[in-house]
Amino acid sequence: MIDDSKPIFMQIAELIENDIISGVLAEEAQVPSTNEFAAFYRINPATAAKGINRLVEDGLLYKKRGIGMFVTQGAPQRLREKRREKFQQQFIAPLTAEASKLGIGIEELVSMIKTGSAG
Amino acid sequence: MNRIMKVARMQLINKATFIGIPLMILISAFLFTVAIWWLVRRSGGDGVLYGGGAQAPMWYFLALGIQALTMTFPFSMAMSISRRTFYLGTLMLFSVCALVLSVFYYLMGLVETATGGWGLDGRFFALQWIADNNGFIQIMFYFVLMVLLFMVGFFIATIYMRWRHAGMVVFFTLLGLLILGIIALFTFTSFWDQFWSWALTWTAGSVSLWGALAAVLMAAGSYLTLRKATA
Amino acid sequence: MTRSTAIATRELSKTYKDVRALDNVTLDLEPNRIYGLLGRNGAGKTTLMSILTGQNYPDQGTAHIFGHEPFEHDLILSRICFIRESQKYPDDFKVHQAFKAAAMFFENWDEQLAQDLVEAFALPTKRRIKKLSRGQLSAVGVIIGMASRAEITFFDEPYLGLDAVARQIFYDRLVEDFAEYPRTIVLSSHLIDEVANLLEHVIVIDKGRIVVDSDAEELRGAAVTVTGDAKRVQEFIGAADVLHRDSLGALASVTIKAKLSADQREQAKLMGLDLSPVSLQQLVVRSALSTNEGTDERTEARA
Repeated sequence: MIDDSKPIFMQIAELIENDIISGVLAEEAQVPSTNEFAAFYRINPATAAKGINRLVEDGLLYKKRGIGMFVTQGAPQRLREKRREKFQQQFIAPLTAEASKLGIGIEELVSMIKTGSAG
Repeated sequence: MNRIMKVARMQLINKATFIGIPLMILISAFLFTVAIWWLVRRSGGDGVLYGGGAQAPMWYFLALGIQALTMTFPFSMAMSISRRTFYLGTLMLFSVCALVLSVFYYLMGLVETATGGWGLDGRFFALQWIADNNGFIQIMFYFVLMVLLFMVGFFIATIYMRWRHAGMVVFFTLLGLLILGIIALFTFTSFWDQFWSWALTWTAGSVSLWGALAAVLMAAGSYLTLRKATA
Repeated sequence: MTRSTAIATRELSKTYKDVRALDNVTLDLEPNRIYGLLGRNGAGKTTLMSILTGQNYPDQGTAHIFGHEPFEHDLILSRICFIRESQKYPDDFKVHQAFKAAAMFFENWDEQLAQDLVEAFALPTKRRIKKLSRGQLSAVGVIIGMASRAEITFFDEPYLGLDAVARQIFYDRLVEDFAEYPRTIVLSSHLIDEVANLLEHVIVIDKGRIVVDSDAEELRGAAVTVTGDAKRVQEFIGAADVLHRDSLGALASVTIKAKLSADQREQAKLMGLDLSPVSLQQLVVRSALSTNEGTDERTEARA
């Protein structure tokens, strides 16, 4: 689950973001504590805290004093919008670049996507 | 201060080492001696019978001095104890043990005299040369002897701990040369007669004093050596 | 050296006969973090820890624990716990007697934690320590280190002889207990992959010298291995700091110290190059090796 490609705190933040987008963590749901994350993923608690704090800074999680961490209202929508913006750059650009290298036209590409998602 | 006491308690975690074993050595040495005396009397031997078994536990203290250091010192380092604290705690515990045993020897000597040498006219605790003195000197004598033996063991062990095998080789070589030198000196200057006549003037009191001085020197030497020893 | 520093060394050096065990070691360790002290066997890890715990002393330089020299300093020593990998115990001691002694000297000793760990490691407490297996002996050291809850705790290759399950128990309990009772932990290890994720800060020592002193997170993704056509690889890496280079015919695999941007990754993909992450272990091995190469060059230059 955790790999060496980038800092662990970023990976923790992404894991929580994924859970928020997929609905595993609903709006207003309580997020596991720093120590629970640390124990579960066998990582340094300070690193887990850094990942969670990043989401707090982004306004995706909020703190209730003495109780814990919760998912902010509207967090899933905001995350989806953020990911949509990146989608073009992250997936479409390399896709079209590779397609043009192979001589696949836009029409053909669209139909390939259609059959791909149908199957 | 508190940690010094704790070092003593740590040494006592295994009570057999400091209390049980010396006591067992003493009791078995005593029983063996008495058994031999009884056999001697049965076969018609007479005169006062002497037994040297009382020194057996003292020799054990020599081994204990070595053991207290080589086995417990590395562990005491792991217990985050300074060398000074370890040294003081161990020495304190040992001094208390030696004192208790010395008083015990003295008291047993009194019993021995009162019972006419355990009814067999034997001398185990109250050897004439020592028992002739007053109680204080008797106790001092035993005490100094035990502490000295312990310190000899302790001192040799600190040398080992600090310089390991090389230290042992150098130490015993120098010791051997020193003894050889003294013997040679005495022999060439025909000093032996004077030496023996001087030795005859020794008393329990004077031996105690010289022994105490030697023990203090050993204690100081051990401490200075231990200061920079590593586990 | 601020007051908040747990451990501070300045130009620490120690020589054994002709071996330079520590060479100008200058470090600052902050309190309540987990540090990894990594390096090969004989790199100087145990010597460094011995000096930091007053069990040994330096030839040159200074070591301060909470602002004081630890050597023969009872007050400072009582806040430290260091069970060495080759720790000796009194010959006649049974396991529970070693714990009894530790409970006396470590003021924060947690007997419940010790008992839990004894159970977790299935340690026979009534057995003589002399008769324990290597793994059980390691477990005794781990339990004393953990249950002491000392403000600074050193673990010296604590896993020797422990099987995979027991090692995982140790790592899990360490994270758990640290989360609840934060303290400074220095974990010495040469099994870097196993402990990498537990560490907040990484110190790598090689031949007595500090070659890496960095936050673990900064090291993650700090290097990348580029594989592909040798010419293209060279074109891509440019003047980047090369840690390691392998080649097979026209194929090259080069590890460079660089954090790649998304654009650079994109470019590599377009050039037909493969990028693979470098683990902390690989990074440490490469760092140690590249400093050795550096030394050799210098020696040659002098000769």
